[in-house]
Amino acid sequence: MSTQELTRAAAPATPLPRRAGRHRRSGPWLLMAPTLVVLLLMTVFPALYLLRASFRDENLLGGSSEWVGFDNYGFVLTDPSALRSLLLTLAFVVVSVALQLGLGMALAMPLATRTRANTIGTLLLLVPFAITPAVSGLIFRELLNPNYGWVNHYLGISTEWLSQPTTAWIALLTLEVWAWTPFVALILIAGRQAVPPEPLEAAAIDGASRWQSFRYIVLPQLMPFVAIAVVLRTIQAFKTFDSFKILTNGGPGEATEIINLGIHRVALQSFRIGAASAFAVLLLIVLSLLVPAMLRVIKRYTQPEES
Amino acid sequence: MRRPGRGLRSRVSRLVAVSAVAALLATGCGGGATGGGADPASPKPPQLRMLYATAEANAEAVQNLVPHFREVFGIDLQIDTQPYDALQQRVYAEVATRSSYYDILIVDTPWAPALVRALEPLSGYLTNPAVNDVAPAQLEDLIPKVLADTAVYDADDEVRQFPDPATASDVAAVTGQGFDVYGMPLQANAMVMAYRKDLFADPAEQAAFAQRYGRPLAVPTTWDEFSQVAEFFTRPEQDLYGTTMMAGVGDWATDDFKSLLAGFGGDGRMIGEDLSLDFAGPEGEQALTYYHRLISEQRSVPPGTTAASWDETASSFDSGLTAMTFNYHSLELDPAVGGEIGYAPVPVAQARGPHFGTWMLSLNRFSQHKAWAYRAITWLTAPEQQLAMTADGLHPSRTSVYAALAGDEFYTALGGSLAEGVGRPRLTNYTEISRAIAVAVNTAASGEATPREALDKAVEDVTRRLTQAGYELPEAS
Repeated sequence: MSTQELTRAAAPATPLPRRAGRHRRSGPWLLMAPTLVVLLLMTVFPALYLLRASFRDENLLGGSSEWVGFDNYGFVLTDPSALRSLLLTLAFVVVSVALQLGLGMALAMPLATRTRANTIGTLLLLVPFAITPAVSGLIFRELLNPNYGWVNHYLGISTEWLSQPTTAWIALLTLEVWAWTPFVALILIAGRQAVPPEPLEAAAIDGASRWQSFRYIVLPQLMPFVAIAVVLRTIQAFKTFDSFKILTNGGPGEATEIINLGIHRVALQSFRIGAASAFAVLLLIVLSLLVPAMLRVIKRYTQPEES
Repeated sequence: MRRPGRGLRSRVSRLVAVSAVAALLATGCGGGATGGGADPASPKPPQLRMLYATAEANAEAVQNLVPHFREVFGIDLQIDTQPYDALQQRVYAEVATRSSYYDILIVDTPWAPALVRALEPLSGYLTNPAVNDVAPAQLEDLIPKVLADTAVYDADDEVRQFPDPATASDVAAVTGQGFDVYGMPLQANAMVMAYRKDLFADPAEQAAFAQRYGRPLAVPTTWDEFSQVAEFFTRPEQDLYGTTMMAGVGDWATDDFKSLLAGFGGDGRMIGEDLSLDFAGPEGEQALTYYHRLISEQRSVPPGTTAASWDETASSFDSGLTAMTFNYHSLELDPAVGGEIGYAPVPVAQARGPHFGTWMLSLNRFSQHKAWAYRAITWLTAPEQQLAMTADGLHPSRTSVYAALAGDEFYTALGGSLAEGVGRPRLTNYTEISRAIAVAVNTAASGEATPREALDKAVEDVTRRLTQAGYELPEAS
């Protein structure tokens, strides 16, 4: 075969690569199409419906359904109870996620070493967040009962936990921290196990203390895992509902009335879909602003030289 | 010349039309927007489906009748049960999607104002002998107040209450005033007082009470006597308290309050047909003051009462922690307590108006088997079936059944309470209104706010929520 023939054989005909290229470009889309359709139906369409409903006086049970502009948003934004609920929700998310992060870190560091005991300990960590929140709420309610609950009995106290705002919040935060700290710990255990040993050995030879090693070597490398834990838990914490519904139902008074209790009442008990949609859209906006802001802050700690 | 895009639109229109027809066929809604099978001569369906509650409406009692139903009708009755919150969402979802899957829906009183337009009006069936062939409806046997409160609605103005409960069984009188009947009442709940008979009969207790208060120990009939007896039995050192109350934030606190409000001479419905806020007057303040005194000053209730609901109060009484309680249903003391329970109506002050509310069986407007579903609900709510269901704790809705149970103390107290009961206001967002009032009851009970402050705050909240739901309040509100 001549050099020219070899070159012609090696180089495909001109139209072929164009068709193959087009095929290559459309191939992934075709493969993803079923997923995209499901995503569209399950996520995008409901989101658009939610947005549309928030501008309407929607009556799903028959009767009128009309465009009301920003009325629903006006009601929500001028409703002191709704704004109070939003602030309580934000405070709950910040405090509970911070506590889970601190405790999760404290659990993760010793459990990250690969030993048989730690493997069993890590498996046990799975238990709390494998329990349905409604069930753990009911159990906590029984444990805290001032007449026959185990908590008062073994502590030798007579606290009416769910009757006072402060103790009710302590109970709710304890339940949340108990249920979700293991989730944070598991993420951080994975992160700690990914830290290479060499820099730690070098630091030990240089006389660095355990705290210095943790602060300047482990923690910076853990930050991407911290980011994942914080973002996931923040989004989940915003969705908390069952424990509040069962443990306090928003009481005493309105002390623990988080926004999801109000949305549930308006949407699923009164079926005022328009007002509930406006509530949900506003919550979505808050989350959409909050999560990227959190990620930016965490990224700054992850890459200090770039900040 | 074809306009650009017309072909595409035409194809899309065809696609939508085909999809709509396919969806209608798939969901069995082809028989018309509001279902079918209303003709008395409609062929018998292979099965009827009913959506029902769980323990709240004694599901077991109804389920135990299914074999008998099969014998009588020659078809199956499939009963799907759901706990309260899930049931409400399921019923609303069935109605919102115009589903014909269930022929019969159970409806709780607070939901009825929102659902009434989606339920089948029954006046045409009630007056048609052809569909009353299996079990006649016998409206005249239903407790008039229960029938009027549970099932008689004006679908164009759901807030209206039927003015004269005594005439609710007269279908012509009902329809003549713009109302209709939307279901057959079953499982009638009213607040009833339960007490420890063994404690009240104990000679030592009787002597101690007589010495302390200068009168014999007796089951309290007035709220003043109730407070005194509750105080007498309160002995924390013996793990014994006078009574329970349900002051935790929830519908239960509102139920406690409206019974007291009616007792102190107020309108136990709390909100009038003209949307006047009748709970916030002097009677409301008096009721809340009494409630606060009993709970936070006298402390005649177990610890945790300001977070208690139906569940905690029933457990407290059952475990022997209290001498008296209030509930809808009969109670059972733990074997270790070894006492005996008696029942009586709630006490009276200026009047009596225990909170009540009844579940009803309604026809789904979109059912394909309405005539047979109607026959099923009249049979299920017939006196014979109700009497049989009392063996499993059902609360009957018929006068004749209570007459047959005259020797039973619980049913005697329940029947009497149903005849005097006061229901809820008819609002599509009652849950939100009830919640606002419950917050007031809770804060007043615990002393976080004075009764007046709590009621004023509730007025603000209720006004806002009614306005949000589209109600126009009178000027004075």
